[in-house]
Amino acid sequence: MTEATALAARAGDNDPRVGLRAVAALRRLLDQLESVQVRNARNQNWSWQEIADDLGVSRQAVHKKHGRH
Amino acid sequence: MFQKLTGSARSVLRAAMERSEQAGAPGIRTEDLLLPLFDRPDIAAGAALATLGLAERRASVEQALADAARRGGLSQTDAEALAGIGIDLAEVLGQAERAHGEGALAVGDATRDRWRPEYRAFSEGAKKVLERALREAVENGGKQIGDQHLLLALATPPGVVADVLAEHGATSTEIRRALARRPAA
Repeated sequence: MTEATALAARAGDNDPRVGLRAVAALRRLLDQLESVQVRNARNQNWSWQEIADDLGVSRQAVHKKHGRH
Repeated sequence: MFQKLTGSARSVLRAAMERSEQAGAPGIRTEDLLLPLFDRPDIAAGAALATLGLAERRASVEQALADAARRGGLSQTDAEALAGIGIDLAEVLGQAERAHGEGALAVGDATRDRWRPEYRAFSEGAKKVLERALREAVENGGKQIGDQHLLLALATPPGVVADVLAEHGATSTEIRRALARRPAA
């Protein structure tokens, strides 16, 4: 049993440490998934504008974040 | 920086550099600082790992680091935290790999570390470990970074390496205790 499960078992779902840790992990997972999807779209010749539209962000933002890959 | 390292810490860094070069990494990654300690029962950090029963679990530690790299830099502890809010990371990883190929979420090192192009000798995470090790040394009244300070810095969260150590029973608290049992060389 690792630290997080031990914490969860002890404190139920009410321990902020468990919840915050999950949110932080989710944020990192989200970043990774975004990279995968953007790469896939670029491989299928999507423009930065098209990708930005579907992500709901500006073209500049998506290009700045993923442009070098 | 290098003048502030003890001889044993310097030898750990040399081993870390060799390890990163063999892996074809642009410089020393966080896990490159940890794994050489397993080969050194003769120094404080290696002895502490042996005391905590990590020496014979090296393969499991390496596997946990490889798994984290494949999961996009998320540790088993992260996976369990995500399960706690209803997200099955194995399922997410499986879907991503089915759609985009094996290793779709994979990162080049376990910690998903970044590199600044102007300074590639160390990854951002490895640099943070060195800074934390220096703080450990200063807080203990020392002027030099020893291998034991490197290990304590590696075991201090946040970070995949710290998670993997804790998952194997080597939290920073346990490591501190193990180090205290052995007089500093």
